[in-house]
Amino acid sequence: MTATAYSEAVRERCREPRRAGAWPEDDRGVGTGSAGSLDAGAWTRLQVHVAADGRIDDTRFKVFGCSAAIACASFVADRLVGALPGEVPALAAADVAAALDLPGDKHAMAALATEAARGAAEDWERKTAARG
Amino acid sequence: MASARPIYLDHHATTPVDPRVLEQMLPYFNQIFGNASSRQHAFGWRADEAVERARQQVAQLIGARAKEIVFTSGATEANSLAIRGAVAARRSLGAHVVTVTTEHKAVLDVCASLEREGCTVTRVPVEGDGRVDLDRFAAALRPDTVLASVMIANNEIGVVQPVADLARACHARGVWLHTDAVQAAGHVPVDVNALDVDLASFSAHKMYGPKGVGALYVRRTPKVELVPQLVGGGQERGLRAGTLNVPGIVGLGAAAAIGRAEMAAEAGRVAGLRDRLLEALRRGLGDVTVNGSQTFRLPHNLHVAFEGVDGEALMTSLADDVAVSSGSACASGSREPSHVMTALGRTAADSWGAVRFGLGRSTTAEDIDTAAARVCEHVSRLRAMSPVALGTRA
Repeated sequence: MTATAYSEAVRERCREPRRAGAWPEDDRGVGTGSAGSLDAGAWTRLQVHVAADGRIDDTRFKVFGCSAAIACASFVADRLVGALPGEVPALAAADVAAALDLPGDKHAMAALATEAARGAAEDWERKTAARG
Repeated sequence: MASARPIYLDHHATTPVDPRVLEQMLPYFNQIFGNASSRQHAFGWRADEAVERARQQVAQLIGARAKEIVFTSGATEANSLAIRGAVAARRSLGAHVVTVTTEHKAVLDVCASLEREGCTVTRVPVEGDGRVDLDRFAAALRPDTVLASVMIANNEIGVVQPVADLARACHARGVWLHTDAVQAAGHVPVDVNALDVDLASFSAHKMYGPKGVGALYVRRTPKVELVPQLVGGGQERGLRAGTLNVPGIVGLGAAAAIGRAEMAAEAGRVAGLRDRLLEALRRGLGDVTVNGSQTFRLPHNLHVAFEGVDGEALMTSLADDVAVSSGSACASGSREPSHVMTALGRTAADSWGAVRFGLGRSTTAEDIDTAAARVCEHVSRLRAMSPVALGTRA
């Protein structure tokens, strides 16, 4: 019955998460990544949309999990806007955890969000390469 | 009048001290402050009188005799004294203990500690409704079983066990039965003679008394012997050493007396509100799964699972409006589902969405309507955010 004491940043993003939603995975310009699982209790799905100039111009996420999982997904979704897909792997889970002042036992939720983000960027790159 | 915010619906975790209880406690902090063991002067006599009055009040709540009540620091200590004390006293007869998978950690962890000391423990599983099957329980009792421990009402799902039936099975085999009565006492009738239990644990703060005080019922006829777990002073007839917490004990006694007087009316009132809450949730959200028996259940408990929603995220979302409890906590990305939900045969995914509502004396119909509306709103919002609805299960 334990509840975690969260920062206001986490609570605010949990109450009013930005960029929640989903696009069809086969939409042109969309890359989709996923990390975690329902059975494990946390599952983050993140999508990036890459514009004609090669930069991510929009993102969406869906998440099942605790408040930290929601906050991390929303935070990462925000941070990716304006980045190049190749820059996504540079977004470190530790930086996300620090920005949201996550409790120590919740850092894994930041790792889920960044892993899903990497997957989304890789998916976009794969689909783009396949299209030539 | 508008309800206070957030609306408190976590009365299984703790209850506020009833103002009438507090009023009775206050003089014992600085006016009647004597040590109840000081038999030489009036300060001690008056403290002792208060303690004995409280002992009588607790005994009356559970149909016991005052001499059968031992005051402790709370139910955790009472459980520990009952289980460890009984097993130690009966060691020559055997070293096997029977308990149930849905017990509180204050029982399960004591049993685990006994295992490390050479005892064996059988944890009887519950059925899908959270109740113990009598035949399955009886089959777990062995010739070397010295004690069984089964709670009256579960702290998560509120399910009430058939304790009197279990006691019959125990006594037919010479086994003592301890019950953790914490969630039941003061809320529903608990009569130690009707239940025929040998030991029963109680906590003041679960029935509108103060934290840090509880009691253990120890049957005198036939006599239940315990090996004390705290020594050094001989208080409580040698069963629990330590200066008595007189204000706390006065509070426990007062809470017991109020609970006894108001229980019948209050149980009916909160059961009606609990049913109103469930109906409102079902109206707002469609199918809502109730965990555990709806028949054998505490009147102030509702434990439900919202599919596709994480209970902890829901708690955080609701925090400004409603205080409830979820059944699990996650750490390091590896979560442990509630052991109670697991015992019911529910999957981990079912467990994540579990939320416990605990109604109480201050809960009003307006509180329930407001809480239901907020819960429906946030469950819908979280479900819309959940990838579970996409159907691509990771």
